[in-house]
Amino acid sequence: MTLRVEERSAAPAGGEPARPRESGPRRSRRRRNLGETLAGLAFLSPNMLLLGLFVLVPLVGAVSISLQATNGFGSGRFIGWDNYVRLFSDGLFWRSTLNTALFTLIVTPVSMAMGLGIAALLNSVLPARGVFRSIVIVPMAISGVATALIGVLIFDQNSGILDKMLKFAGLPSIPWQSGQGAAFASVVIVTLWWRVGFNMLIYLAGLQGVNPGLHEAARLDGANGWQRFRYITVPMVGPSSFFLLIMNVIYSFQVFDIIFVMTGGGPQNATSVLVTYAYDTGFVTRDQGYAAAIGVVLLLLTLAFTAIQWRISRTRDQVE
Amino acid sequence: MDISRRNFFVAAGAVSIPLLLAGCAGFSTAGTKPTPRKGTLTFTTWGTDSELAGFKTAIARFEKANPGSTVTLNAVPYEQMFTNIDAQLQAGNAPDIFRVPYYTFGSYAGRSQLLDLTATLPSGFSDRFTPQAWRAVQNADKPFGVPHHTDTSVILYNKALLASAGVTAIPTTLEKAWTWKEFEGVSEKLRASLPDDKFPFAYNWQGNGVTRWLSWLFQADGRFLAKDLTSPAIDSKAGRAAVDFTKSFFDKKWVPQNDSVKSTTYASDIWYSQTAAMTWGGAFLLPDAASTLDFEWGATFAPRNVRGGSDFGGNALVATAGTKQPELATAFLDFMTQEKSMRDFCEAASLLPTRADLVESGITFAQRPELSPVFIGQASTVQAADSGQVASPSMSKIITVLKDQLEQAFIGGQSTDATIKGLSDGIAAATAS
Repeated sequence: MTLRVEERSAAPAGGEPARPRESGPRRSRRRRNLGETLAGLAFLSPNMLLLGLFVLVPLVGAVSISLQATNGFGSGRFIGWDNYVRLFSDGLFWRSTLNTALFTLIVTPVSMAMGLGIAALLNSVLPARGVFRSIVIVPMAISGVATALIGVLIFDQNSGILDKMLKFAGLPSIPWQSGQGAAFASVVIVTLWWRVGFNMLIYLAGLQGVNPGLHEAARLDGANGWQRFRYITVPMVGPSSFFLLIMNVIYSFQVFDIIFVMTGGGPQNATSVLVTYAYDTGFVTRDQGYAAAIGVVLLLLTLAFTAIQWRISRTRDQVE
Repeated sequence: MDISRRNFFVAAGAVSIPLLLAGCAGFSTAGTKPTPRKGTLTFTTWGTDSELAGFKTAIARFEKANPGSTVTLNAVPYEQMFTNIDAQLQAGNAPDIFRVPYYTFGSYAGRSQLLDLTATLPSGFSDRFTPQAWRAVQNADKPFGVPHHTDTSVILYNKALLASAGVTAIPTTLEKAWTWKEFEGVSEKLRASLPDDKFPFAYNWQGNGVTRWLSWLFQADGRFLAKDLTSPAIDSKAGRAAVDFTKSFFDKKWVPQNDSVKSTTYASDIWYSQTAAMTWGGAFLLPDAASTLDFEWGATFAPRNVRGGSDFGGNALVATAGTKQPELATAFLDFMTQEKSMRDFCEAASLLPTRADLVESGITFAQRPELSPVFIGQASTVQAADSGQVASPSMSKIITVLKDQLEQAFIGGQSTDATIKGLSDGIAAATAS
């Protein structure tokens, strides 16, 4: 609009509009801008296409199914919000929600703290640190199912190695598979073993970007090791912490394979989380409308958490 | 002789009509030579090595008997089998044939996903099977599949552990199977002789095997569905007896605590590791057990109470409703349940036949052949009324109810009354939806 006004004002009254002197460069700039826009869109389009096809379309589909009563085959029957209303009175849904929240609250900070601690150690002049780094990272390369199968062998309460070691040491054995608290602890421990390597790797990358001069200056100012870690290392790896917080929370919300293989959600639903509950509902009892409603609630929880973190992150950026 | 155009067409029509009718006849009728069938079928299954080898052999024989027909076998891991099949059915690209456990069969048949074989099966086809096997593939009194094989659980026992507990009289015939009372005595003897970390037995009701709990209910002469197959019938004296008895296994430490229905540790693994002296297991375990166990073991019949009872395990073969080759698919199902096909398959894979003639004559397993009569005898305790209930279209939801309630009863301290009420309410809700 502005450009058109400018062009009109440049035309002499009563005659053919004179070609403005600067119109050539402007047109070429416009053409260049258009070209850049098209190029940008072209680069963006494969991602947008894939995102739309594999994320947005299924998402809309899931919301649509969550409003239907289904039996797993054929088209469902529209029932409005009934599946969501049903969630409120479903004890197992609330149990699974609480388990998911508890799992997230334990796994996220502990895996980050362990990851940072190990990264700080392996960032120092430790001998053979390459070997140690590899050992910590190796679990990342193992699939969740394989990790969980290893967990089953370790935590089997009849013939597992852990209880045998406890017995050998004269300690009472722990009911890892039939005790509710112990079973929950077992999936947390295996998850930590699997996830700490990833946290360590990200923190290690963050630590290597910290200027060593800061530590040296602090040392000259009389700061001890703990003070340097608390007041220099921790703040300086803030962006890594933010990234890991988001990743760990999303992972914890979506935990499935380790729990599915190790405990199947038992004993007595002590390890049932939202995804295992949605899976059982959708694929075992074939109540897919209800399972989709559980999935949508999980999505809303994740979105809410991400929105909160987004706001916090902007504040953090300003501080840094 | 003048032949008018009209006369020519009338004559040609008269000649061609029988030919056309013959072409439309499809399945061969009695007394005529079978029409060769042509086309390609897709067949999706999971299976052990011996089962897959058995399927391949049978497919080769079918293709030879029906020149021009091919069957493409798609073997998938069991864990992926039914999520894949469900997705394929939803997407309209399901295989022509697939293999399905009897307890899952009803979920497909009751939701119009399977081919109704009433019209395409030859007359008298059902006579080849035992009544309980034929009942297991019915939905609304119509056949939607063929019972390919069965399996059932018997007691597998560690000879040394039983002997050291003084249990030497092991039943050798079905009639002499332990009563619940006698079994209680055996368990108590074993409990007294075994250290705390070893147990008298482990029961194979983990995961979808929870339907094997129903054997106790059947032994008490109970039902979980009334004869209409929709109303719950578990709130009964027999239901209470079954819950009470099986709950006591955990209270009396006859089974390890991680032998409950939601455990991820299988009963067979507990027995393999000699943590339990006995386990319940199907014949499918024989090849592995025979080749890997380094202790002496045997098999005997499951206990009986008011009557004998057992689980009708195993799998049916079904054709999907959307198959483009219903006749060829039916012919394949027919072929797979013929005497030779079933005998070869069951003997090699250590599974039990569903044909009445093979049950009568017996089969001989490739591994531990002397145990074949134990499994076949145990399978004969299954009644058609038992297998008919398990074929309910609501079975997948009932399985979830059984898992939740029995888990609470076994290791959650839930009373028998509360468990029966939970089971009854849950089954009613499952069949109503």
